[in-house]
Amino acid sequence: MPNPQKPEHSVITTCAYCGVGCGFKAETVGDRIVRMTPWKEGKANHGHSCIKGRFAFDYYNHPDRVRHPAIRQSIDEPWQEVSWDVAIAHAAAELQRIQRVHGRASVGGVSSSRCTNEEIWLMQKFVRAGLGNNNIDNCARICHSPTQFGLTSTLGAGAASQHFDSVLQADVILIVGANPTEGHPVFASLMKRRLRQGAQLIVVDPRRTESVESAHVKAAVHLPLRPGTNVALLDALAHVVVREQLYDEAFIRARCYWPEFEQWMALVGSDRYDPDVIGPEVGVEPDAIRAAARLYARGPNSAIYYGLGVTEHSQGSTGVMCLGNLALACGMLGREGVGVNPLRGQGNVQGGSCLGSWPHVFSGYRFVTDPDTRNTFEAEWGLRLDDEPGLRLPNMFDAAVAGTFKGMYIMGEDPVQSDPNQQHTIAAFRQMECVIVQDIFHTETTKYAHVLLPGSSSLEKEGTFTNAERRVSRVRKVIEPLAGLADWEVTVKMMNAMGYAVHYDHPSQILDEIARLSPAYRGMSYDLIDRVGSVQWPCDAHAPEGTEVLHVTTFPRGRANFMLTQFVPTAERTTDRFPLLLTTGRILSQYNVGTQTRRTANVQWHGEDVLEICTDDAELRGVKDGDWITLSSRVGAITLRARISPRVHAGLVYTTFHWAESKANAITTELSDWATNCPEYKVTAVEVVRAAVVPARSATAAQTVGAPS
Amino acid sequence: MSGIVASGMVMDPERLVLMANQIGDFFAPYPPGPREEGIRNHLRTYWDPRMRAGLRALIAEGGVGLYPHVIAAAVLLDEPLRERKGYYGPPKPPEI
Repeated sequence: MPNPQKPEHSVITTCAYCGVGCGFKAETVGDRIVRMTPWKEGKANHGHSCIKGRFAFDYYNHPDRVRHPAIRQSIDEPWQEVSWDVAIAHAAAELQRIQRVHGRASVGGVSSSRCTNEEIWLMQKFVRAGLGNNNIDNCARICHSPTQFGLTSTLGAGAASQHFDSVLQADVILIVGANPTEGHPVFASLMKRRLRQGAQLIVVDPRRTESVESAHVKAAVHLPLRPGTNVALLDALAHVVVREQLYDEAFIRARCYWPEFEQWMALVGSDRYDPDVIGPEVGVEPDAIRAAARLYARGPNSAIYYGLGVTEHSQGSTGVMCLGNLALACGMLGREGVGVNPLRGQGNVQGGSCLGSWPHVFSGYRFVTDPDTRNTFEAEWGLRLDDEPGLRLPNMFDAAVAGTFKGMYIMGEDPVQSDPNQQHTIAAFRQMECVIVQDIFHTETTKYAHVLLPGSSSLEKEGTFTNAERRVSRVRKVIEPLAGLADWEVTVKMMNAMGYAVHYDHPSQILDEIARLSPAYRGMSYDLIDRVGSVQWPCDAHAPEGTEVLHVTTFPRGRANFMLTQFVPTAERTTDRFPLLLTTGRILSQYNVGTQTRRTANVQWHGEDVLEICTDDAELRGVKDGDWITLSSRVGAITLRARISPRVHAGLVYTTFHWAESKANAITTELSDWATNCPEYKVTAVEVVRAAVVPARSATAAQTVGAPS
Repeated sequence: MSGIVASGMVMDPERLVLMANQIGDFFAPYPPGPREEGIRNHLRTYWDPRMRAGLRALIAEGGVGLYPHVIAAAVLLDEPLRERKGYYGPPKPPEI
């Protein structure tokens, strides 16, 4: 009998899950996708894959997919299916009405890292040219916005300094607030290869994760700090570097400002950051801090990889600066095997960041307040642009609650599930007069929407993604969009309906426009990417096929900057009522809030979110493994099953956030990073008690309405 | 948060004060001058004009709860239009 699954065609494309951005061959039979095979020529993955990219693709054809546009006058009414033209005309008319009544700045938009560079670009263009303001944000706001701020402040570029393969030349790998074996598994495989060859590993993480000890991995030093104390610990590492004169004076004198270094040295070298002082404060042995600092500083090649455990704090941006400072002080930049590298969460979150989907900058992180930059966009787009920064996503919600922000166009985001302090977010949406959601599924946010525009998955459109190593790869259409239009086509229609006339025949023309207006992308084109496979920015006349390692001879601003990184404890504190600290993270088989992976067979590996708690804390509360517990914070309470785990120490509990019904963000707070408003997801004071009532919900709720993030 | 928002304010005053003081905390170790410049630049570059106006309104009413160096920095926002610069980044590094 012939194999009914035997592929007839294959299309090379890029995985849309994590920021590794693996190349895949999507194989089809007729109009069905039957297999995803890792592409051996993919420069990010070299033929490797994880169980999400490899197996979790069936969501694309799930019965829950939104296949028709719909509108309603109020959120209490049922949805009414309408044509694309009617939905778009209605959405545009509502936005125009709101602007007439409440002012130009009363509406805004959010783009998604689930979408292509071209779509993210169009979304910020829609807001800037179509709405006439800068109220545009993207989901990096709630994950890696501090990366952009912190790395730009120190190194001059808000992106990874290296390519992934650079780790194969590292002698010491410092992982801070990341768990690559779960979150970025294909990169983790590469890292493990280097560890097997003898590289030393330092892990800074409150939990004893697989990155601390698992097959092929054993950290030389694990610093299990208390959540919320990153900056204190990193300053203590710097203290050792300064006091023991482990810094690279020649590098600092050549590449940085020596007086600035002296200023920094005076701060971190002070007694305040002595490991004997900081150690007890952060819950880490002082000698372990010293050992880690010596190991990192002596390299000879030491590389930093970090994740949301650094950024999602009230001092998230400061924590990123600490990493930049440390690398500068030890001369660990500008060559293979070193660097500072954010492990980006989503397939295209780097693209969302560097292509101007922010309220304060255009592409290339150039300020909207800069008239020269603004002039180039005004000349290309043919209209005057707002010269003031717009509202950031959390501030849009604050303004909505205050009654001054009334409408949003949301592309592929689910703020109700993914943003902190869910009650506040819902209150904001209830205040808005028109919420337009463009998504592939109904989400928690569509419950508060007035216009629903069907989204297209990354398997249904042409475009590009930029991964965590700045690599721009092609996304290719494997099947036709289920609802007839790709996301970029929808946004083009929205712009035209708003009265701003634009036309593109193909997304390649959008990348051409990006290249004309964005220095780092100046040499990019579909032709180039098709010819060489993928291209890392900056790509220009000096680097016509892209750049693997940044900062080799100079920094973007010439010299790099040491920033002063004083430790300021978070306002979120444990109390008698909430004596435990909750931190959150991901698991290998599921992806973020699970919209896609929960609609695949991957639910067999992770059917529910659980609360990890140590034996002592569980026994103190009469909680046994598998018990239902109520987890409460000062803003809310949720119910989960408990799992007794040696991975968390006393005083610390941990959960994932893949299931909508877990409602993890019903208990996270309004606190956020000082510079970017990135939420402090990683520190919430909580209490755990045995649940009085067992929730009536399925543990394998693959049909649950969820959301992308 | 109080949940009480004055008419025309873009957000809760207590949240504005909290956010402004957080910025003040970061720049606190910088010497006087660059410290205020850093705060001013951050507010100018990252805050929507309605948020800045809200902050200045709070200062006009006495600035209760705001750090003195944040108030001093916010005053620097009242620059004449002709002095507006395109770049408002972190404090400039000291002369070499």
